[in-house]
Amino acid sequence: MTGPAAFTAAHVAERLRGRVEAPWEVYGERLRRYELHLTEGRIEMVRAPVSLEGYGIRVFRPTGDQMGVGAVASSDLSPEGIEASLASASETAKFARFPTRRIELPGTATRPPASIETTDPGLWDRPVETLEAFVHDLLTPLEGRSGISPSFGSVRATLAEVTLANSEGLQRHVPRTEVEFEFALKAFGGPEGAPPGEYWINRRTRGLSSKGLSHEVDQWCQFAQDVRRPERVATGPTNIVLSPSVLADVLPVIVGYRMSGAAELRKLAPADGDAVADPAVSIFDDGLYPGAFSTSPFDDEGVPQARRTLIDRGIARGKSYDVLHASALGQSVTGNGRRTEPEFATWFRFATAPGPRATTLVLRGPDGGSDAELCEAAGEGIWVDQLGYAFPDSLSGAFGGEIRVAYRIRGGKRAEPVRGGTVGGLVFAPSGSPSLLNSLKRVGKAQELAGALVTGPCLIENLTVAGE
Amino acid sequence: MASLTDSEPELAMALRRLEPKTSYAELFAERTHGHRVNVDRQTTTPRPEPTLAGVAVRAWDGQRWVEACTSGLQAASVAAAVDAVARRLSSAALSQGPPGPSATGRGEATTVEKRPVADFGLEERIEWATTRRDRVLGFEGIANCFVNVATYHEERLFLNTAGARAHQRTVRVLGNLTAIATEGGKVDFDYAWAGGCGGVELLDRMTDESLDTTAKEAVALLKAHAAPSGTMNVVLDPSLTGTFAHESFGHGTEADQIVRKRSYLGPLLGTQVGPECLTLVDNGAYPGAWGSIAFDEEGWPARRNVLIDKGRFVEVLHDRESAALLHRHPTGNVRRADFLSRPFVRMTNTYVEPGDRSLEELLEETRDGVLLQSFTSGIEDPLGGNMQLKSKKGRRIEHGELTELYPSMALSGKVLEFLQHIRGVSGPEDFGLTPGFCGKGHSDLLVTGAGGPYLASRAIVGPA
Repeated sequence: MTGPAAFTAAHVAERLRGRVEAPWEVYGERLRRYELHLTEGRIEMVRAPVSLEGYGIRVFRPTGDQMGVGAVASSDLSPEGIEASLASASETAKFARFPTRRIELPGTATRPPASIETTDPGLWDRPVETLEAFVHDLLTPLEGRSGISPSFGSVRATLAEVTLANSEGLQRHVPRTEVEFEFALKAFGGPEGAPPGEYWINRRTRGLSSKGLSHEVDQWCQFAQDVRRPERVATGPTNIVLSPSVLADVLPVIVGYRMSGAAELRKLAPADGDAVADPAVSIFDDGLYPGAFSTSPFDDEGVPQARRTLIDRGIARGKSYDVLHASALGQSVTGNGRRTEPEFATWFRFATAPGPRATTLVLRGPDGGSDAELCEAAGEGIWVDQLGYAFPDSLSGAFGGEIRVAYRIRGGKRAEPVRGGTVGGLVFAPSGSPSLLNSLKRVGKAQELAGALVTGPCLIENLTVAGE
Repeated sequence: MASLTDSEPELAMALRRLEPKTSYAELFAERTHGHRVNVDRQTTTPRPEPTLAGVAVRAWDGQRWVEACTSGLQAASVAAAVDAVARRLSSAALSQGPPGPSATGRGEATTVEKRPVADFGLEERIEWATTRRDRVLGFEGIANCFVNVATYHEERLFLNTAGARAHQRTVRVLGNLTAIATEGGKVDFDYAWAGGCGGVELLDRMTDESLDTTAKEAVALLKAHAAPSGTMNVVLDPSLTGTFAHESFGHGTEADQIVRKRSYLGPLLGTQVGPECLTLVDNGAYPGAWGSIAFDEEGWPARRNVLIDKGRFVEVLHDRESAALLHRHPTGNVRRADFLSRPFVRMTNTYVEPGDRSLEELLEETRDGVLLQSFTSGIEDPLGGNMQLKSKKGRRIEHGELTELYPSMALSGKVLEFLQHIRGVSGPEDFGLTPGFCGKGHSDLLVTGAGGPYLASRAIVGPA
């Protein structure tokens, strides 16, 4: 560790300042992680702490009409380790090519937005006790329930001190907390001959709260019971209601990439003005959405995050840019220079180079009303609460997965559980062709923050179901 | 670059400090570095892989494990991790040992590189990537081409208070290429790959012929009609056979899931679950495979474990605790993703062994159905026993012949039903292992291999 006051980036920057003529940037992280692992309702392992300190250096060397970007990451904070990293970045920059002549790193004049909460104070001050209290509150509603038991789970809290310094004199410090929670509940016992059932949840949040947990546990128990006696689904185009958690597996990955400077530079993005969704559908990238784990006053390059429009009433209207892509495409930075992928995000970020990546997507569309009204609008169809995994493909825009927790919609009402078979399609398709965004007809009132997406359940008309 | 063995005396001394406080403790140290080059039509991005080093210290506390980890190998960092563990140990830590046997062996292992990665310079890597990119970009209809070539050096040292010492240096090489075609706002792609444990020779598997096929298929996928939906006869290519072996069966054989009664396979151990043509293996000792290891993270040597022998489910994968509870022996399958991640029972290289049929015979017997090609993903359902596999492309099988190209498809169904419907497995000439990454639940991604030959069965298939 680099000492109590000398934050990581400043410690590394001291060795770069005055020695590197080209623009440079240091991103530092000092992290503590605390984990409780559960098996069958008991704690089987305590990991406390997992300590990690590391940094990423970028050096920008113009070469003709191109930019050579040398990027390295290391956990070696010794003087020799930093020297080796700098040498490696400089050497790499000689061979790298990015299509821009110059870049503008944010400087000291960059003004922060209004105060943004990025930590869970209780977790920050008393991490192990907070985790233990959460586990207690999680397991207590399950005590004495017959036919239901927890099978495995973990709750992992990351406490990060993020620091940033660059050759323009910028110095930033943003603390951050994040929680990864995974839990599986098993339903078993009567009726005779019924197989056991499981509901398996996985979520990533900014903090940890037991508020509403008891109600959620009731819901999870119901799901675990319902999957034991499912009907099978039939093959064919079907009206589907996708829950916010299913949509959260799909849209941030595919919309996040296709509406980014990275896709635009590689000629894979829709042009501004293209029709890409139903005319009533809009999608925003909101880097300041309260409580979201991507919310921060600054992105990982030091640019203020903001709320911006990506799709306005069905029309592509903007992209996400980091410093490099904004320069190459003649655009302004948007506060989306982020060191974390929407899919398979790691709890430490210094090891990943920044790229233009979405923060929190907010989906707006035709008001679908309550859950009951959404079912009524669907008529006949399936309400999907969970897929095995949606497997979003950012390049082709395809998604699809096995139906794990779902209910038939019959006569406009939510009916018996169904399971098995697959549902899938494309998120983007040319105007007039079927796709998730073209066929999205209603957004339910029950809005929630699910992962990196804010939405209600959505009614999609005529998605392809493969079943019996 | 320095070796972990330089720090070994200090690491061993730090571990010994726990001996008066616990019946068992172990220390795992790791250093990683590497290099990656990404090129596409617009950019060239060489990038060193992160240089990371650190330790994990684990001790038994009578009823549960206590663990602390830290980056850095300096004495102060390691001491802080040891102290953090010591503070959490109760008096029970000394009175009761952990379940199962402790490894006591000592071993050394180093990956054999026919053409050493150290001689594969940065300029040569860029040349390798750009040559392949340009070849694919030469095909009409190809809009872009992403090429990645990466090499990873991983050094791991395991010590425990029972006297075990396992030191391994592993070199992994991975090359992949994505050919991207676009038309009228539609985007599709195909991919090729090469990789494993070894040297630069592994990249030779990415031949010009395979690149040309990848480019042509990417363009053809743009115009391909969606696959039919419903229950049908299927043939899986080697990569999909591997995904089936890994996701549908392998996860259910991780014995920690069986101990907590979270595996549909638990009650079936010792029974016939498939036809005699099916033998399924997890093999961490497979020479040169992507998921190969010399020792696991409890200090046991990796080995070949037969899970299904001629259709009979005969073995599961163990750590020391599950082995004790189920009266078996550790199988060399305890793995950490890195020094920051906890150990779990994990797969290594999981595959279906070759059978005695030809692909032509399998197609002929299938008559009508689909061939699923080029895995993209899969996910387990350990308790429910369902399966979900996804392929990048496939082909219609009509009257025993391969015809129309289909874009990406998902396959689902009950694993046990799928096993019962297996009609045949092709021979060793078709066998292949594919590099991949696997999570335990939704976390702790690590390298695994999967594969097999062609396999014919029946399942639900639809576009995805």
